[in-house]
Amino acid sequence: MYRISIDVGGTFTDVVLQNEKNGKIYTAKVPSTPKDQSIGLVNGMRKICEQTGVSLEDIRSIIHGMTVATNAVLENKGACVGLITTAGFEHILHVARSWTPAPVCAWMAFQKPEPLADLELTRGAGERISAKGEVLIPLDEKAVRKDIEDLYARGVESLTVSLLNSYINPEHEKRIRSIAMEINKDIPVSISHDVLPEFREYERTLTTVMNAYVRPVMQRYLKNLEDKVKQNGSSPRISIVRSDGGLMSVDAAASIPVNTMLSGPSGGVTASALIGRQTGNLNVISFDMGGTSTDVALTLNAVPRVSRETRVGVFPVKAPSLDVVSIGAGGGSIAHVPITGALRVGPQSAGADPGPASYGIGGTEATVTDANVVLGYLPGNLAGGDLKLDMEKAREAVQKIADKLNMDLYQAAQGIHSIVNENMLGGLRVVSVEKGYDPRNFALLALGGAGPIHANGLGILSGSFPVIIPPTPGVLSALGFLQANVRNEFSRTLIDVLSAVDGNYLADELGKLGLKGRQWLNEERIEADKQQIDYEVDVRYFRQGYEIPIRVQLAELKEKGAGVLRDRFSRIHEQLYGFKMDIEVEIVNLRAVATGNTPHVELPCKDKGGPDADRAVINKDHQAYFNGKFLKTPVYDRGLMEPGNVIPGPAVVVQSDATTVILPGFKGEVDEFMNILINKGVEQ
Amino acid sequence: MMTQGRILDSITVDIMENALKNVKEEMEAILFRSAMSPVIREQHDAFPMITTPDGKMVVGNFGSCVREVIAERFPEGLSDGDVLLMSDPYSCGGSISHINDMMVIVPIYHEGVLVGYASMFGHVMDVGGPEPASLPVKAETIFGEGFRIPPVKLYEGGKLNRLVIDIVQANTRMPVEIYSDIMALVASCRTAQGRVVELCDRFGRDTYLTALDALLDRTYRMMSQLIGSFLPTEPVSFEDYIDDDGLGNGPFKMKLTIWREGDHGYFDWTGTDPQSPGPINYYLSDNMFKMFIGAFLISAFDPAIMFNDGFYDLLHIITPEGSLVRPKFPSALGCRTHVLSRLFDVLSGALSIKSPASSPAAGYGTSPYFIYSGHDQAGRYFHLMEVQYGGLPGRPNGDGFDGHSWWPAFENIPTEYLETYYPLRVEFYRTGRDSGGAGYNRGGNCNEKMYVCLADGKVSIHDDRAKIHPWGINGGRYGSCSRKVLIRNDGAEEELGSKVDGVMVKKGDRVLFITGGSGGWGDPLDREYDRVVKDVRRGLVSVEKAEQDYGVVIDRSTMELDTAASDALREKMKKERGPVKDFDFGPKYCA
Repeated sequence: MYRISIDVGGTFTDVVLQNEKNGKIYTAKVPSTPKDQSIGLVNGMRKICEQTGVSLEDIRSIIHGMTVATNAVLENKGACVGLITTAGFEHILHVARSWTPAPVCAWMAFQKPEPLADLELTRGAGERISAKGEVLIPLDEKAVRKDIEDLYARGVESLTVSLLNSYINPEHEKRIRSIAMEINKDIPVSISHDVLPEFREYERTLTTVMNAYVRPVMQRYLKNLEDKVKQNGSSPRISIVRSDGGLMSVDAAASIPVNTMLSGPSGGVTASALIGRQTGNLNVISFDMGGTSTDVALTLNAVPRVSRETRVGVFPVKAPSLDVVSIGAGGGSIAHVPITGALRVGPQSAGADPGPASYGIGGTEATVTDANVVLGYLPGNLAGGDLKLDMEKAREAVQKIADKLNMDLYQAAQGIHSIVNENMLGGLRVVSVEKGYDPRNFALLALGGAGPIHANGLGILSGSFPVIIPPTPGVLSALGFLQANVRNEFSRTLIDVLSAVDGNYLADELGKLGLKGRQWLNEERIEADKQQIDYEVDVRYFRQGYEIPIRVQLAELKEKGAGVLRDRFSRIHEQLYGFKMDIEVEIVNLRAVATGNTPHVELPCKDKGGPDADRAVINKDHQAYFNGKFLKTPVYDRGLMEPGNVIPGPAVVVQSDATTVILPGFKGEVDEFMNILINKGVEQ
Repeated sequence: MMTQGRILDSITVDIMENALKNVKEEMEAILFRSAMSPVIREQHDAFPMITTPDGKMVVGNFGSCVREVIAERFPEGLSDGDVLLMSDPYSCGGSISHINDMMVIVPIYHEGVLVGYASMFGHVMDVGGPEPASLPVKAETIFGEGFRIPPVKLYEGGKLNRLVIDIVQANTRMPVEIYSDIMALVASCRTAQGRVVELCDRFGRDTYLTALDALLDRTYRMMSQLIGSFLPTEPVSFEDYIDDDGLGNGPFKMKLTIWREGDHGYFDWTGTDPQSPGPINYYLSDNMFKMFIGAFLISAFDPAIMFNDGFYDLLHIITPEGSLVRPKFPSALGCRTHVLSRLFDVLSGALSIKSPASSPAAGYGTSPYFIYSGHDQAGRYFHLMEVQYGGLPGRPNGDGFDGHSWWPAFENIPTEYLETYYPLRVEFYRTGRDSGGAGYNRGGNCNEKMYVCLADGKVSIHDDRAKIHPWGINGGRYGSCSRKVLIRNDGAEEELGSKVDGVMVKKGDRVLFITGGSGGWGDPLDREYDRVVKDVRRGLVSVEKAEQDYGVVIDRSTMELDTAASDALREKMKKERGPVKDFDFGPKYCA
């Protein structure tokens, strides 16, 4: 039997087929079909089955990473959303958090996007619940019914209900949902208590509204997908990849689609953890450099870090996701020189259209890719040979920057290359040093088409070695999905000082959430012995603003009391911020993390051969520019390499989905899984 | 660029600039995550800085006082492991402008050589004095506000001077919180210290220091161009007013005159009223004002540039001693945010006299505070200070924001947070319909927030623009004034002033807090119909105001536009009105 994982990206749909018996892996790439992603998905399945002679009926499961929800937000193509909130707070999305950017006066140029639910389609419900959960004003059902009817008459396609303090008592939200379903059962209703039962009303409302915004799009897509797969005569289980790298069923994705916002990037991070394990590097920082942006993530002890807030476009969304920091630096980032005479790279990007100048499809501004072409780092073609790079156009574009900077072409190109590395280092620091981790204790793993060009340079800046270039850096997300477990979180807010909380009570409350988790795992058809529940409590000093999640076992809470949380919290606080305090500690959220472990099939490996990689050299006289001069830089074909091969830098390694640069003074070594590990080489 | 016989390429300078920006962001991240004061943590009233070895700011927002502090207080210099703490505006040339801001300075050494200073200041919850939050509106000297810390060594050679902490904690209502905040400030500066040392290791110390000079030089060159193209050669003046000083005096005039000679700019406060007896004085540091001018000009051009002190020699500030913006010791300074904010309205006005189309109108123009303290049902002391926001002005490139923060990167406090931690309830929190001045680009609406007190306690209010309207520009109309009402449990209503302390409230009393709106930009009769209609349907502008100020007729029952009636009305209004005014200051005093 076989499994298929599919990553639908903006340009390409990557497909990985795995034979469950021997672990063997096959990959294919087909163009994405943005209008209906499921067409590309089915094309990809057909293509890989034809290539390998596998019958569609032998595919037992499909694991699907997607950008349906994210694209709907980024391209403003979601549903018309109505919002019911507590009367008196109708401006909640309009005011947001009142934030304008720094420094002083920057508001003068600030452009703020419209909320996803228009103020015109927002209604206040007569009702009020206190911070303790008591009903202060009963729900005015008659008025809310009239408002919903009115909103539906105005074309609302998806309804959101988010009331003050509903995280603690969802009674009114649930009642409003029933009323809305009575009026029209076909219009989906998202209530904030279901989507995010945590306090801070703006973030909860925004996340719920975003859920409502993408829900009809997602529901249509998933229905379409199931139909298409069935038409093909197979009935595999379809799992959707969540932003936190876990899997969920089609039904779960259809009701809480906001959990798929970072579905795609999470695959790359999961795969990085896997490759880290393979290569003996449990701590890995991965960076996925694409055309317009770079996603950076950190894996500690082979476990990718989970964050509970992420950003989609400008919107801060609170949904569990792998902690991926996105910065506006990619291959398509445009270099420019403002009147200060500084060289800036990005955040504007040439995107795919007009693209970098060297693509020869209309772009004239110098991009990072153009600088890399000028420097000789990109000698071949892109995207598997379909796109020939135009050196002359790249030189023309970069020359314009060089003229403004009053330096020569190559210095300018090197400058663009170095500045984008520095920008990426900024993102890398956010996931590492800002969270208390020293990047020198991590390996650096490059993903995405552009990542391996910059990996060695970035590794020098962050001191992260080895630098790992996986065998297929361009299709790694799909590979990562194969490693994913079924996963979900069940949380609730419970604010109280620790000294007032009994350990047994806490264990009971966590246990209830755990029960919900088990129930969900059963619904997801996970066998009992594959089910795992972990417990976390978010803790902070009394009235401090940000909490730290602390892992805990129910048994130790019962035996030793709630004090165990305090000790663990103090230790972590001191590690992160350099001090601890002798004051009250409070708990904020309780959480059960439910995991259904799926079988992992190890990847195949080859025996090591000798170090000599000469047979893989396809151009021994190539020249590339490093530190102010051109050096002889042989070009290798990655497909011709074997485990054990050592490539002395400087060198360029080409393959269909990426190009790797090994710098002078470094060497790349091919391991038995066909990863290239770059380390400092012996002086030559 | 040549320094010490070395040529440094501009790319290295760019890289250093990026690296320093990253350090600044890391300083903020550390502080916001570990501080206790909600004003720092939730609202971000805190400012980082990194300087050169001689104290010039290379990264930061508010200008440097390091040079003066070291020269005056520590002429023998500092040593590795020293950490300075201070809160006295008069000891640092006004770089921090009231005693609530705690500032930490950490010298940075690389292999024993001084390479700069890291500094951070943040607004702490309470520094003693007669009123909770330490911003008494009736203070007549700085001694009546709370305690001051002159620059002292909090750490000496890496060892904590516990006595400083003891003295500080003995003088505040919130000893635990203040300790945490100070340690968070130190943690943040220590982070910067580590990062700068890493940069020196990576690039070499000489390269690092040379790059700092190059960064300063770059700003100098750019600013000289901006001054040449923006400042008039003939002096122009602009005036605006602060309502009062909380003691019944006022209004207070702020007058700024500007001109240029070559590429040097002159900014003259002569004509500004003398200092007030009350605490609204703002000790405006020359360096900080230069930074503000730079910020205003730079925002339009290279917003990615890192602010630094490089251009200071190009600007010349004239500030009369003993005036509202240069009060003499020991004047009270606690409530200086009115003058500090209004300064930008005046600056904007003065810079736009020759070209009213290129500048924004006036905004809510201060930093309104709601302060509420007492004991909750469990007998625990509570103390809330919330910074409020209002209307941001209409501007050349769009409408003003409704109920947003003029202060960079500040945020509001979630209602669910307030209701969880303090004995109060919020009845409504919205922006005020019609409070933004009409304009081609509408002025932003004010905030309207109704607090219900759930415990007996004491309330203070800080606000301005209660009497003098935010003005409109380039044909835009003036915005609304601020207002506060105390509604007793029995329904009796009491108007409160914009600056009051010691309002005793009982359980069940309500406080209605309305901030200022803002002025509009451009002729409202030119605003596209669909934009006016959208505002009305969203409830941000009333049908009446649409008709009166915008000449747009909307059917009240269908909310549909009557195009023919609107065309006719606009034509008539334009004829009757004549040409638009450059500035619309509104009625002299709010009714």
